[in-house]
Amino acid sequence: MTRKGMDEMKLTVNGEEHDHQGDGSIDALLEELGAKKEHTALMLNGTVIPSEDWNATTLKENDEIEMLVFVGGG
Amino acid sequence: MLNIGDQKLGSRLFLGTGKFSSTRAMIDAVKASGTELVTVALRRFNREQAEDDLYGPLSELKNVRLMPNTSGAMNAKEAIRAALLGRELSKSPFVKLEIHPNPHHLLPDPIETYEAAIELVKQEFLVLPYIPADPVLAKRLEDIGCAAVMPLGAAIGTGKGLSTAEMIRIIIRDANVPVVVDAGLRSPSEAACALEMGCDAVLVNSAIAAAENPAAMGAAFKTGVEAGRMAYNAGLMPTSEVAVASSPLTRFLSTSD
Repeated sequence: MTRKGMDEMKLTVNGEEHDHQGDGSIDALLEELGAKKEHTALMLNGTVIPSEDWNATTLKENDEIEMLVFVGGG
Repeated sequence: MLNIGDQKLGSRLFLGTGKFSSTRAMIDAVKASGTELVTVALRRFNREQAEDDLYGPLSELKNVRLMPNTSGAMNAKEAIRAALLGRELSKSPFVKLEIHPNPHHLLPDPIETYEAAIELVKQEFLVLPYIPADPVLAKRLEDIGCAAVMPLGAAIGTGKGLSTAEMIRIIIRDANVPVVVDAGLRSPSEAACALEMGCDAVLVNSAIAAAENPAAMGAAFKTGVEAGRMAYNAGLMPTSEVAVASSPLTRFLSTSD
């Protein structure tokens, strides 16, 4: 997925530093981390990004991303 | 049929999906309970714990809608974010609004809950707030557009039953939205009791998840809830301070002569 001439991008994903090596798209980040697209909800710098807006979103250096999934709860 | 906002539910038993020993045990209990509404929580994605992701197993269940909760939120702002994230995945309008900042008692924060509810109603959620059994708060939440209110029977996970019954009776008497007892129930008879009192539904998690046989307990709660509702519809007899005979008291075995 690495685009030629593109440096690593430093992101914070779920509170931990992450060096993204893809094209900065959300799809590329999910794939890199092994997350399933339809199972994942996403927040970028504190704002919830609906999945229909993912294609129009490009990540940039130092972005903070939260990726959430459903687990058991009452 | 239970109406919550524009949604119709065939079962008055809502199930939580936490604390089960396995996903299989949870799915079996959901099926046995006949529930059509289950709660789920959000957690950060972790590829090492991918098996905890319930999206796949739950989306295979027919006739079951998801109600994400806002557990983990310490205030209104966090709860609103959690609700928006949950709706992204659930594709359902339901949200269980819960804000309980103190892990010792897990009692709901009524002020933050009220503030979050105002915003979530604006954003067209069906808001089901988990609240203390406070009739004034319940009415205020109804007034701002919550789709139901969910007073606690006892603290989460304690299994202490309907310890707030008198307050819940007042909430029911005044409410124009469904009243759902959430938290504290341990046995199907307590669920039946809640429905007999006029509660519209109950939300159960620990009582089923922590039972020796969760699926069998799910089925038992199903029956309890149905019996309670049937009894409520049948109309319970009035109570009396003195005995009222149900057999004739005419003497015919007298030994006085």
